[in-house]
Amino acid sequence: MTMAHPGLPVVWAAAVLTLIGLLSMWALLAPAPQVRRGVTLSLARLPGIGGAISRMLTTPWVLLPLKLIMVGLFLLVIVAGLFGTPIPERNIATVLTWTLWWSGLIISIFFLGSAWCAVCPWDTLAQWLVRRRFWGRAESNNSLNLRLPRALQNVWPALVMFIGLTWLELGAGITVDPYVTALVALLMVVMATVSLAVFGRKAFCRNICPVGRTIGFYSQLAAVEIRPIDQDICMSCETLECYHGNADIEPCPTSLVMGRLTQNSYCTSCGNCTQSCPEQNISWRLRPPSMEAMYGARPHWDEAWFMLTLLALTAFHGLTMLPYWDVWMSDMARVLGDSGRMLWTFTIGLLSVLCIVAAIYAVLVSLTQRLMHVDLSYRRFFSTFAFVALPLAFAYHIAHNLNHLLGESASIGPVFANPLGVGAIPLSMAEMHARQMVIAPQTLATVQAALLVIGFVVAVQVVRLRGFGLLVSADASGAQRRGWCLLPLLIFAGGMTLFHLWLLMQPMIMRM
Amino acid sequence: MHWRTLLQHIGTICVLGGALAWAPAWAHHVLGRPAYALNEDSNTPPALQLEVQIGDYFVTSMVFPAFPKSGKPARVNLYARHLDSGNPYTGEVRFLVRDDKWFADEPELLGVQPPNDYVFRQGMVFSADGNYIISAEFEADGEPYVIDFPLRIGNPAPIGPLGLALGTIIFVLVSVSVIQRRRLPGARIRHEHRDARS
Repeated sequence: MTMAHPGLPVVWAAAVLTLIGLLSMWALLAPAPQVRRGVTLSLARLPGIGGAISRMLTTPWVLLPLKLIMVGLFLLVIVAGLFGTPIPERNIATVLTWTLWWSGLIISIFFLGSAWCAVCPWDTLAQWLVRRRFWGRAESNNSLNLRLPRALQNVWPALVMFIGLTWLELGAGITVDPYVTALVALLMVVMATVSLAVFGRKAFCRNICPVGRTIGFYSQLAAVEIRPIDQDICMSCETLECYHGNADIEPCPTSLVMGRLTQNSYCTSCGNCTQSCPEQNISWRLRPPSMEAMYGARPHWDEAWFMLTLLALTAFHGLTMLPYWDVWMSDMARVLGDSGRMLWTFTIGLLSVLCIVAAIYAVLVSLTQRLMHVDLSYRRFFSTFAFVALPLAFAYHIAHNLNHLLGESASIGPVFANPLGVGAIPLSMAEMHARQMVIAPQTLATVQAALLVIGFVVAVQVVRLRGFGLLVSADASGAQRRGWCLLPLLIFAGGMTLFHLWLLMQPMIMRM
Repeated sequence: MHWRTLLQHIGTICVLGGALAWAPAWAHHVLGRPAYALNEDSNTPPALQLEVQIGDYFVTSMVFPAFPKSGKPARVNLYARHLDSGNPYTGEVRFLVRDDKWFADEPELLGVQPPNDYVFRQGMVFSADGNYIISAEFEADGEPYVIDFPLRIGNPAPIGPLGLALGTIIFVLVSVSVIQRRRLPGARIRHEHRDARS
C-alpha cells in the first residue's frame, strides 16, 4: 500500500488562479518596466557583526569543520548503503540523501545560494585525494591540468548527467534503494577525483556535476551572493588573486574574476577569493532575489537548454508521483509491448515531457519574435527568454519538495539512532499513518500557493524586463508601448504555473 | 540608501523562514517485535515486494521473512491478475532459482505450485548466503510468461563496488603521478632553455 500527501485545497487554487489572471492583465497593459539596480548589503559591513563575518570569510577554519562533517555523513551514507538494511525508510543512506538532503538542498538555495558547493563532500574528497592536502594550495604536479575538450566546455555534460540522475531517481528507483544510492555516491567521488586529477581547475564542478549546475542556475534567484565590497578596488586590481590564487590559497576553481562577476551560476562559494584577496574586498551580501534572472545574467544557448530542462524535469517529477502515473505507464507499456519494470516506457515518457516543454517554448518564442519584428536572431530570443523557466521551476520545485521534507521526515530520529537499520523491520502501516507533517497542512498549503504566485510574478518580470530589453537593444520603434508582443511568453509562464498548480492539487505519492 | 526596500527583502526571508520553522511536534510510539523473532510465517511486511507488468498480467511477488537467512525457511508469494478483466491467474506457476552471477549454473527447479486462494506460495531453504535470481514461469492464453527477480540471502560482502571505486581512484592517481614524473623534468629543461635564451 502506498501513502499519499493530500493535494492543495481548491480554495487556495482559486486564489492562485485569480492572482495569475490579474497579474497577466497587468503585465499586458502596464508601461515598459525600468531596470532598477536593487539595493545590496554586504554582510562584512553590517554594524556590530560585520568585522566578525569578515574574519570568518578570510580563514579556512570555518569551512574545514563543515567539510569534515559533510564528508563524515557522506561516508556514512556509503557505508550504510552498502552494508545496511535494504529497507529504504530504515536506512540512513536513502533517508538522508533523498528525504533530507535532496529535498532540503533546493530550498536552501534561496537563503544560501551555492553554499552547498563549498562543503560538497565528493568534491572535498576528490580535493583531498588529488591535492593531498586538507587546506591551502597544493603542488601543481598532482594533476595533469589538461584543458577540458572544447566541445565539453559548456553545460551540456551537466545537462546529460542531470537527465541521467532524474532517470535513476524516478525510473530506476534509487530513492528507495540504499545500495544503489551508495553506488551513485561512489560514482560521484570517482568522477570528481578523475576529473580533478586529469583536468585543470574544477572542470567537474563547472561543466559536469548535475547537482552543482542545478544549484548554480537556481542561485540566480537567491537572496545572497559573493561579490566585491567596493567595486572600485577590483577595477584597479592588477594582480587578480581571486582568479590566480596566491602562495597559500588555490585559484578560483571555476575561473571567475570577482571584479567582473555578474551572476552566481558558476560560483561555488568555495571562499578562495574571500581568503586570497589582499584587500579583503570580497564578501557575502544580501540582494534583491531573482535580479540575475530578470536582467543581470547573460544568455547562453547551452544554459538556456539547461534551464528549460530544469523546468521540464521538475514538472515530470510531479507527474511521476501522481496516483494515476502507474496507470498511464501501464497503458503505454501495453501499447509498446514493454514489460518488467517498464524502463523503456518510462524513458519515452521522460523524453516526451522534455520534448513537449521545449517544443511549446520554442513555438511561443518564435511567435514572440514575429510579433516583435526586430532584427535579432531566433537563437538570441530563445536564450534570452529561457530565464523565464528558472522562477517557474524553482517555485514548483520548492513547493513539491516541501511535501517530502515536511511530510516524510518525521521518522528520521530512529534512523539516526540506528543508521544501518540493523534488525529493523519495514515501517508498519500504523507508523506510516502516525507520521505527521511537521507543520500544519493549512500552513503548508499557504506556503505552496504563495510560492506559485511568487514564481509567476518573477517569471512575468523576467519576460517584461528581458523582452523590453530586446526591443530597446534592437532600437525598435515605439518599444515602450509594445508590451502585447510578449503575450506568447506570458501564456507560457501562465500555462506552466497552471500545470504546476494542477499537479499540487493532486494527491502525491510518498517516496517511502 | 533604500533601507525600506532592503528591510522588505529581509522581512520576506524572515516570514518564509518562520513559516517553515513553525512546527508543532507530533510524538508517537509504536511497539514492534524484534527482528530475530521473525520467520517465514510472520505477519510482517516482506523483505522484497516486486510489482511488474508483463504482457496482459500484473504480477505482485513478495518474499518472507523480512530478512531471509541461509539454513532457515523462506517463502515467495506470487499473485497475478489480468490487466483488462482484473481476474486472478488460476493456472500453475513454476518457480526456479539460479545464482545471480555471470556464467551461473543451470536454474534449479524449486517447485510447481497451484494457487491457494489465488496466491502461489513457494517455500525454500538456501544453504548459503549470496545473491540469487528467482524465476516464476507460467503460461496464459498460449503465451509463456517469465518473471525474474533478485533475492539476497544473508549479507553478502559488498566489497565489489567499494573495491572498484577505490581501485579506479588509486589507478588514476598513480597514473597521473607517473605521467607527471616524466613530464616535469622535460618542462623544467624547457624552462631553463627559455630562461638561458632570454
